Amino acid sequence: MFFLNLSLPEFLAILGSLSGVVVALYLLDRMRKHHTVATLRFFAAAEKPPVLKHRRKLQQPWSLLLQLISLLLLLLAMAQLRLGSPARYSRDHVLILDTSAWMAARIGDARPGNVRLIDRARLAADNYVNALPPADRVMVVRADVLAMPVLLFESDRKKIHLAIDQTQPGAAPLNLQTALDFAVQAQKVQAQRPGEIVFVGAARIPSAQTARLNVPGNFRLIAIDGPTEHVGLRKVSVHRAMDDPDAWEVFIAAKNYGTMARSLPMTVAFGGSPVATRRFDLKPAAEENVTFRFKTRAAGWLEARLGAQDAFRQDSRAILELPPRGALPVTIYSAEPDLLRPIFNAIPGIDASFLPVLNYKPDARGGIVVLDHFAPPSPPATQSIWLEPPADKSPIPVRSTEQKVKLSRWQADHPLGAGLRARDTELASAQIFRAAPGDIVVARSDAGPLIVARPGTPKIVVLGFHPVRSGMKYQLTTPLLFANMIRWMAPDAFRSWELTAGTVGTVDVELESEVDPNSIRVQTEDGRQLPFTMSGKSLRFFTAAPGVVRVLTGDRELVYSLTLPQPGDAVWKPANVKIGLPPRAPIGPTSRDLWQWLALAGAAGLLADWILFGRIDRRMRAAQGVALGEFWRKAS
Amino acid sequence: MKAEPLIDSAFLEKLERLAIRWQKSFPGLVGGHNISHFAGPGQEFLDHRQFHHGDDLRAVNWRAYLRLEKLFLKMFQVEPRIPVRILLDCSNSMTTGAVSKFDYARKLAAALCYVGLVRLDTICIQPFGHELGDSFLCGGGRHRFIPAVKFLEQLKPGGRTNYFQIARDFISTYPQRGLLVIISDFLDDAGCERPLQYLADFGHELILVQVWADEDREPGWDGLLDLTDAETGERLEIGFDDAARTNYMQAFDAHSRDIQRVGLRNSGRYVGLSTATTIEEAVFGPLARAGGIE
Repeated sequence: MFFLNLSLPEFLAILGSLSGVVVALYLLDRMRKHHTVATLRFFAAAEKPPVLKHRRKLQQPWSLLLQLISLLLLLLAMAQLRLGSPARYSRDHVLILDTSAWMAARIGDARPGNVRLIDRARLAADNYVNALPPADRVMVVRADVLAMPVLLFESDRKKIHLAIDQTQPGAAPLNLQTALDFAVQAQKVQAQRPGEIVFVGAARIPSAQTARLNVPGNFRLIAIDGPTEHVGLRKVSVHRAMDDPDAWEVFIAAKNYGTMARSLPMTVAFGGSPVATRRFDLKPAAEENVTFRFKTRAAGWLEARLGAQDAFRQDSRAILELPPRGALPVTIYSAEPDLLRPIFNAIPGIDASFLPVLNYKPDARGGIVVLDHFAPPSPPATQSIWLEPPADKSPIPVRSTEQKVKLSRWQADHPLGAGLRARDTELASAQIFRAAPGDIVVARSDAGPLIVARPGTPKIVVLGFHPVRSGMKYQLTTPLLFANMIRWMAPDAFRSWELTAGTVGTVDVELESEVDPNSIRVQTEDGRQLPFTMSGKSLRFFTAAPGVVRVLTGDRELVYSLTLPQPGDAVWKPANVKIGLPPRAPIGPTSRDLWQWLALAGAAGLLADWILFGRIDRRMRAAQGVALGEFWRKAS
Repeated sequence: MKAEPLIDSAFLEKLERLAIRWQKSFPGLVGGHNISHFAGPGQEFLDHRQFHHGDDLRAVNWRAYLRLEKLFLKMFQVEPRIPVRILLDCSNSMTTGAVSKFDYARKLAAALCYVGLVRLDTICIQPFGHELGDSFLCGGGRHRFIPAVKFLEQLKPGGRTNYFQIARDFISTYPQRGLLVIISDFLDDAGCERPLQYLADFGHELILVQVWADEDREPGWDGLLDLTDAETGERLEIGFDDAARTNYMQAFDAHSRDIQRVGLRNSGRYVGLSTATTIEEAVFGPLARAGGIE
């Protein structure tokens, strides 16, 4: 017999204090009561001589005794008196359930009727809980890439079994060290008497983790044996070919997690039509990859399917959504279209159309409008490039028209002037503009600005000379200048795409150059921003939920379809830890809760005191008195 | 905090259909019922009417005749013939109890006063403790009720009841017989039956209204009690239990029966009221049944 909540000195101290209070209240209750009455004449008629010696004596000793016993019982209930051996203190255990993607693997093969690893893990966890002494408390933690507590330390077995039974495998790999660290911390902070840290699962983790796992001393492993042979996709990545914007380069990697060599076919389909078929010849624990390219301008689903018929099929298929290849419409109004045709035909990603100036429409299709020696009656509603416009109708005021002007400087630190090197180019005739504050001077001569860009909506670039008619005709600067202008006006048209199917968790992205972090956005499919870190050219973000994450960096968009589960490549088999289920706790010596019965007995004692010694008696008399009073009033 | 009014207007409206009743024929006075609202000989002018043959020429308004050359007769209000006096106990014994008997008695007095004023009776409120206090006389209609209420509100309890002294003073102060309503707990250690008998013998018609608190009739205490008399300050230590409570209640009821006997024996009326009874229930219940008002 022992107390759970209080030590014996604490119990005796509280009992003594409360008993003293009860006795004091009891004596106080039995002391003389002072009352002021209208007259003493009727009391004199009813008088019984007061017995003074009774003041120092207990008048109702049984009532006091009953109260004290009831108090003792209630205090014992609060102290949680238990029958049994005090050696069997309850302990607080942390039960870590493996909910990594691998736990969805089935025993045997992948037919739906077969038992999954998670089902076995739940059964093993239930057996572990049943083997514990009833007073032991258990915290249930679900572990994949994160450790997620679903039940704090709890002794109610129904709640524990419910939390175990509701556990399902996720899509992330297992990070066992995170789960162990969490469990140790939870026992430090919240546990009264730390028990075991139990891991129930397949314990399939990356081989890099196994060497540096820090296992606590009270660790127990209940391993769930799963299938050993498995081949799965590791990565599927797609990006546009550098030399052909209509072509996609596809990279697919597969890994053999088993111990036998496997040869498996792999099929890639786009929009349901096969575009490639390859075969992986994989040695045990080996990883291979294939690359190929295919051409399409349309949008659609690209599906990579591995012909593996093993127990875990979630990573034998990956799907990526390819965006359409759009062409930016560019309308050139010119009287001499042949001069400009080679320049615009050399820029990929645009759809150039040449129209005579008489066909000008201010509400023409979107994109970019080029006005060659022409000023329309109403300015275009879209972005526009003006080549040597009439001086009186130029959107940028013309200060003067100069002869034999030398182009002396480019605005090389702006995207419009990036890569332009031509210097000292002599122009037979050129307009000199008067740039307003906020305007960007792309090129200037000693006399003033020659090319001025005006940001805003819509964007405007005005050239004070015709590049093809000037000395720049045969220089590389001319097509580059036009390409820069179109890229500045419509950056989306030149955005490069890269799509990758991977697994949830931490994702590292290698950028082409160091980018201002303020210009980077990492967002989920529903537009929610994800936090990320930057280290040089490396960007890192984390997500625990499967889905699509977009990384936008200027003119580059990386799409990560984090739906490809990735099982660990090694099964962790530790030494010097407790393995398997513990022996079931013996029933005999186990302590048994008594507090419910003690509380009931205490309450019954107080109720009996109330009934037997006065309180209820007085109330009944009062009720009787009201009835008599009513009768008396009626009689009078 | 604003004090609760003695009586509310809704209750006053209900009281308007009531009248204070008495049974005795008082020597030298018109007996039976109050007819004060009729015109007749008196001092207070009531109205004019046309002169008819046989009317008293002394009541003709000669000034009006000089102006209008018509004879008008002045009518006068009959003075109350039966004075209604309310003796209100203001002794310290009225302050005991969870619900103050003194407040209850004041409310009851106010209700009776209003009933009388509506019927144009003359009401005299006479507080008393160890002797008669300053009285308040009102009559002539309901508009005099507010001063009566103010008078009742300013009363303070105090002193020790002495019914012999009260009866002696009352008889000498009010020689005219009339209806006497005594609202009291009738707790006088010297006894109040004989003084009440004296008042009845003098010719007053008595309506005895005994007010008690529930604790007065049935004390709910147990054990050793240290009791103090509210009026005398005397103390008594007593062991109180169920048997003692029964004896107490029997003694209290015997005392109430004695009071009742005095009232009924002298063609008066007796009403016993617990403070647990509301004033409205008391007026329309026990007081109406006893014939004090109708």
